[in-house]
Amino acid sequence: MVALRQAWLLAVNDLRQEARDLELILTSSFFSLVVLIMLGMSFSALGVSSQPLAVPGMLWLSVAFVGALTLGRIFTREREFDTLRALLVAPVERVSIYLAKAFVTLVILLGCSFITVLGLTLLFPAAQPFAERPWATAALVLMGCTAYAGVGTLFAAGLASSSGKNVLLSVILYPLTMPSLLFALVATRSLLEGHESFTTYLGQLTATNVLAFVVGAWLFEPVLVGVPQKRSGTARAARRRR
Amino acid sequence: MKKILPIAFLGAAALIFPVSVKTIFLDTPIENQMGTVQKIFYFHVPLAWIMMLLAVVCGVAAGIQLRRDSKRAEAVSIAAAELVLVTGLGVLITGPIWGHATWGKAWTWDARQVSTGLLWLIFAAYVLVRHYGAAGSERLAAALAIFGAIDVPVIYYAVKIWKTTHPSNDVAGSLPASMWAALWPALIALLLTSIAVLLIRVQQELTDVTLDEAWVDLDDAGANKLEPTPAPTSGSGDA
Amino acid sequence: MDATALLSLRDISKHFGRLSVLRGLDLDLRGGEIVGLIGANGAGKSTLLSIIAGLMPPSRGQRLFAGSEGVGRDERARFAVVSHTAQTYPRLTALENLELFAKLRAQAGCHSEPLLPTLDKLGLGYAADRQAGTFSRGMLQRLALARALLGKPEMLLLDEPFTALDRPGRTLLASVLAEERDRGAAILLISHDLEALVSVADRVVLLEQGVIAGAVPRAPDNDTFGPRVRELAGRMPAVRVEAEA
Repeated sequence: MVALRQAWLLAVNDLRQEARDLELILTSSFFSLVVLIMLGMSFSALGVSSQPLAVPGMLWLSVAFVGALTLGRIFTREREFDTLRALLVAPVERVSIYLAKAFVTLVILLGCSFITVLGLTLLFPAAQPFAERPWATAALVLMGCTAYAGVGTLFAAGLASSSGKNVLLSVILYPLTMPSLLFALVATRSLLEGHESFTTYLGQLTATNVLAFVVGAWLFEPVLVGVPQKRSGTARAARRRR
Repeated sequence: MKKILPIAFLGAAALIFPVSVKTIFLDTPIENQMGTVQKIFYFHVPLAWIMMLLAVVCGVAAGIQLRRDSKRAEAVSIAAAELVLVTGLGVLITGPIWGHATWGKAWTWDARQVSTGLLWLIFAAYVLVRHYGAAGSERLAAALAIFGAIDVPVIYYAVKIWKTTHPSNDVAGSLPASMWAALWPALIALLLTSIAVLLIRVQQELTDVTLDEAWVDLDDAGANKLEPTPAPTSGSGDA
Repeated sequence: MDATALLSLRDISKHFGRLSVLRGLDLDLRGGEIVGLIGANGAGKSTLLSIIAGLMPPSRGQRLFAGSEGVGRDERARFAVVSHTAQTYPRLTALENLELFAKLRAQAGCHSEPLLPTLDKLGLGYAADRQAGTFSRGMLQRLALARALLGKPEMLLLDEPFTALDRPGRTLLASVLAEERDRGAAILLISHDLEALVSVADRVVLLEQGVIAGAVPRAPDNDTFGPRVRELAGRMPAVRVEAEA
């Protein structure tokens, strides 16, 4: 419970800072808009019959691009001011840091997805079900973005704590999030086509989310600070002393 | 023992391979629809199984590496990841050849094809992070491997579902028992080879670690010698 | 082993691949004592600090804080680190920066000192409601120190705390550290600035090529370190050449 309360404090703190300069929200949503326009221009000639096959891909590719940008930015900021280290030496559960950062990423991603979904609905007639079933769409976007935030936070934090190279973030992120995005893709397609299987797919997506978060939370501390060695190397030390 | 084991495995594989090739090409009937090309199945399927196995081995070893800070596990994880790339390449080359004969199309976005491709990408990312990551990224790479191993079933399932919403191709039907029989020698030979290469690679990595440690020890000894003798007080720092 | 030591490091080594940074280092830190650790660039000061703070496991050796090898949440509540990077949130005010850590501590069941008096003590009371992003480096350093003092830490680790401070700032830091020491805290000051260390430390130790190469206690009668510290200082340039070679 302490971990959850600390996570909440950290998340609120991050959002409060974000509210003061809106850097992440403005840059990420602008980028969403750019991606949306690029997609619109690339696929404007698409026939209505093939649109249900293309629109889900556009949505989740956009989330993938915007997500990588957002995660990179969130942790570059932490690194600029070295605040991650301050949290790591404070009496804060490490898992709380993970949960808080994942939550903030999720909030930003949801904002961006709102723009993307709205834009796709306006641009493509086949995307109308997004507007017709807003709650289903919201649940879908929430679950898809959660998967991305869960996996992404772990690796973005890991890269930020080493003197990392951010190019590696995309290298890691895209292959790893592909399964979740595939689930999201299938769910979106069934939503657009009005299949009942939508809820099943949504459930499966939720299950992968739970898995991603459990593994992510479990690995966060070992990846960021390592685990203290149980063997204190006495045999080696003795050998060295000779 | 460490040197003999890989050689023994390789030797056994060298003995089994000719038997396997003979069984495949001479003893097993030629498949009606696909013809001789179908023979590639006997190499493709074992390679795919070995790849999955190696991916899981890599993930488990990476988990032990993270939790116990074990150099041995780290070596196994590196070796397994690299072999996933090699065997994966084998699978991804033989697959389309077989596919071309079966479906008339090399790449059909079949569930197994796509999931193999995705898995290959994850382990390629692992090798990239290991090579180009900064200090400390070995733990990050380990996390990647763990996610990769956990992803094995998830990917397969995801792709299968994704596939059902696509126009589908008929996957090759069930094979007669004689064909399955020819699969086992090929599997054993390839598995032995893989294990041998894995062991050699692990040994290489461990030698590398030992070498690093020896270097560090030598360096330490050199530094201690360089240390000027008129140390002001007790050298330990206890006042 | 010294049973009275709050922190004891035994045979600590750290290497990154073939680069050996710490080579079997021993160090004890007791409550009520300010230890100044001096070393040239590349002597391993920052690595040592990371290991003491539990941010990095040593390659070998033992780190005991209050008799425990762990660096869990409860242990972290008992020590504080002031890094040379101020580690503050630029978009939060000075008070909010402290507030965040006080609240985090409260959730972990730890007490914190009242915030405004702590800021006042470090001469930041007038800037409590200004965003930290507008602070000078010296002010950020004071803010970081204020944050470290929040929990009355039993052990205080400071990495190059003098660099950004002006003369009044240094005097203030010295008096605050003396106060903490007299309260019973164990303080480790890491710096390459011998003059600054000598002005506050009770014991100066030299970190050279990853080991403690010498230690000089403050003479009890005349309140100075005498010529021995000069000896240490005399060795410094040699270390610097070594590190660069």
